[in-house]
Amino acid sequence: MIRNIIRKNEWFARRKYTGWGFTPVCWQGWVYVFVAIAPFILLTSFGEVNQTRIVLIVIWAIVVGIDFVDIMIHLPKDERDRIHEAIAERNALWTIITVLAIGVGYQAASGVVEGTLKVDPVILAAIFAGLLAKIVSNVYLDKKD
Amino acid sequence: METKIAYFRNKISMTQEELASKVGVTRQTIISLEQNRYNPSLYLAYKITKSLQQKNIEDVFMLK
Repeated sequence: MIRNIIRKNEWFARRKYTGWGFTPVCWQGWVYVFVAIAPFILLTSFGEVNQTRIVLIVIWAIVVGIDFVDIMIHLPKDERDRIHEAIAERNALWTIITVLAIGVGYQAASGVVEGTLKVDPVILAAIFAGLLAKIVSNVYLDKKD
Repeated sequence: METKIAYFRNKISMTQEELASKVGVTRQTIISLEQNRYNPSLYLAYKITKSLQQKNIEDVFMLK
């Protein structure tokens, strides 16, 4: 709803070289991000943080979170951008999985040596969640095309 | 894939920016296409052919 009324997708671009997410590409984008973040600064900088303020911060976080996800989904991208993004994200994912697998292997091996099982459940959950995302994506794409 | 995009674009005095905006891609994509570094989808190839006022896709895009 906010899209195309008070902000334009063209104000932002996919972050390519400095992590994930989006970055403003013009002054309007920077103003929008500043205005979006300003309530949080105002709510946390002055006076005592009470229950009302915490509720307002939570509401602010939900609204800004939804809006930022909407920006990510609707970033202007042509077919070449999409291919580049897919390949870059795949490479990033393979690297992350390799590091996580080495971590799980190291934890399992050191656990065996010490006679305990101490594989980090968060790492296993991350790998499992990624697997689920891959399955869902492939099912969706197979049905779609 | 080789293209004659630059040739036909110059013939009708169209800038890369204008062509990019007409077919809905970035100028960078047009540059990559003109330098034969990117193979477009059939859909984009058709749109470019039409924007360059050509009838046949083979006149603009050629397999090496």
